[in-house]
Amino acid sequence: MRSDVVRLYKVVHTWTGITAGMFLFIAFYAGSITVFAEPLARWVSSPAPVRLTALAQSDELIARTLAARPDAAKEFTLYLTDTEDVWTRLTWRKGKDDKTPWSAELSPAGEVRLAQSYRSSLADFVDNIHRTAGIPGANDIGETIMGVVSAVYAVALVSGLIIVLPSLVKDLFALRVGANLKRMWLDAHNVVGVVSLPFHIVIALSAVVFSLHDQLYDALDYVVYDGRLKSVMAASNPFNSIKKDERPAPMLPVNTLLERVKAASPSFVPVEMRYRNAGLRGASVQVWGHDTRYMTRGKGFAVISPVTGEIANTDYLPGREGTWTGVVATFFALHFATFGGDAVRVCYFLLGVAGAFLFYSGNLLWIESRRRTERRNGGPVIQKTSTRLMSAATVGVCLGAICAISITIVAAKWLNGRVANIDVWHNGVYYAVFVASVLWSFLRGAAAASVELLWLAAIAAAAIPFTTLFSWTSPALGMQGSASMAALGVDLVALSAALCFVWMARSAAHRVEYGPADSVWSASHRQLQEDAR
Amino acid sequence: MNQIRRDWVSKTSAGVILGFSLAIGLAGLFAWLSPGGLATPNKFQLVMWLIAPIWLTTLTLCFFFSSGMRAWLWLGGVNLLAYAGLFACRLFLR
Repeated sequence: MRSDVVRLYKVVHTWTGITAGMFLFIAFYAGSITVFAEPLARWVSSPAPVRLTALAQSDELIARTLAARPDAAKEFTLYLTDTEDVWTRLTWRKGKDDKTPWSAELSPAGEVRLAQSYRSSLADFVDNIHRTAGIPGANDIGETIMGVVSAVYAVALVSGLIIVLPSLVKDLFALRVGANLKRMWLDAHNVVGVVSLPFHIVIALSAVVFSLHDQLYDALDYVVYDGRLKSVMAASNPFNSIKKDERPAPMLPVNTLLERVKAASPSFVPVEMRYRNAGLRGASVQVWGHDTRYMTRGKGFAVISPVTGEIANTDYLPGREGTWTGVVATFFALHFATFGGDAVRVCYFLLGVAGAFLFYSGNLLWIESRRRTERRNGGPVIQKTSTRLMSAATVGVCLGAICAISITIVAAKWLNGRVANIDVWHNGVYYAVFVASVLWSFLRGAAAASVELLWLAAIAAAAIPFTTLFSWTSPALGMQGSASMAALGVDLVALSAALCFVWMARSAAHRVEYGPADSVWSASHRQLQEDAR
Repeated sequence: MNQIRRDWVSKTSAGVILGFSLAIGLAGLFAWLSPGGLATPNKFQLVMWLIAPIWLTTLTLCFFFSSGMRAWLWLGGVNLLAYAGLFACRLFLR
């Protein structure tokens, strides 16, 4: 590689990295947590106030609900699992954004009990932070910005690779720990970047698609499909595979439908059934579920007719998709870690955290490259305003997001059932902590704030297992911690994160007191002493 | 050999604009020429997925051009070829 090309790509890498870095830090940190969205949902859930109707009574539940509330027939969902995040057996809502769905259960006496309650999901909130990097406003604004950020990120990745290519073999596994701290950070940045490059390329490209697909479809429709894309999409829609037919017809039992799906794909594990137009001949049921043997787009589903019992569409049934949806399902799986089970999820979690480290260390290197070093016997140095501001922003944004997510998780458990609209609280708590952290960092300077915010991060993470402990020891609090392995896993991860933050806070404090004084990372009183000398 | 020119504005704009139109054009060619043709159900998703890798590969690598002018000429030329192909598909495969 010619050295002038490498120099040029260094500039590309610097500027793409520094613009996208902090957005990506938040997206990766929240994304790592989102990999374990289900355990998080189970951790925050309190057991349902009403005991779930036994699965064996599902047919009776459906029949009695439809008799009492014919409006539910248009679209309702039957949940098939019994984990603690499942809050009801049967539910229906008015439209997609209805936050107060109805639910139905059978009493021990066989009477149907209807209720309407406010539903919100902490896991969805963290997922939104992942998709928008916490950019406030309507979700699509944040997502569009993150689509552009992801494109910039892709350029940063390839340019970074081009820079390290000439010295790849020599430098890759050399982690030079020693007096030259910048060298060590650069080595660490390079090795994490190169080793996880395939993961990052997959994430960058898929994130561009997820964030900008509407715009990409519009462009394709205009240029290639000549305005006919809508009709192609409609012809592909699996929900259109059962023709509309409004004559009434009896429906087969739930178990029969599940057996038919099992026959079609024995390894598929159904978790919910979404009924449409129940009681009519044109009714359809989407049986949603998991299949760890295949690369899937999160949950897959089969469409089955509850009247005839015929499977009408398997375009999204893992292992039974056609060529086109099958290939695309692979791309989804590679982003969402929905393949290979828990082992792959753990890997994605670690790769995600390593990614967050990559962006953090990138910013540190930017700051370090612009550092003014003290000359021997020379006067004191004052760091550039740009590096002081960038270091404060990096500390405030990155650590602020970490603290904000932990505190939002803890608050969600404490406030569950105590406040009317928990969504407002999720947002309020997250942004209050995040904005306060950023302001704090600019006010106190990066050096002091890094130590203080790391301690806050440690306390906030430790509060997660302590919340569980409180909920067990003080039932009067009414929080009822879950004791499932999934929920305990959340506590365990949070506890180890807290220990990591303690370690980081202590070494940051050491650097502030004893590290080189001619640095944005040294205590301000030491910088002042330097000035006075 | 001549020193490579930086030409930030012209190279970046070539990568962003012509890279994008090239990606749409090549994805369109794939839609027409892969088995089943344009209207095959479920194919449109994969077609859309092709845009990002083509676009971003072009954008990333276009700084290798020795000048912004060359980036515009080369990418413009490839674009012309792609859209000529797309036009031919429309004309003959419809």
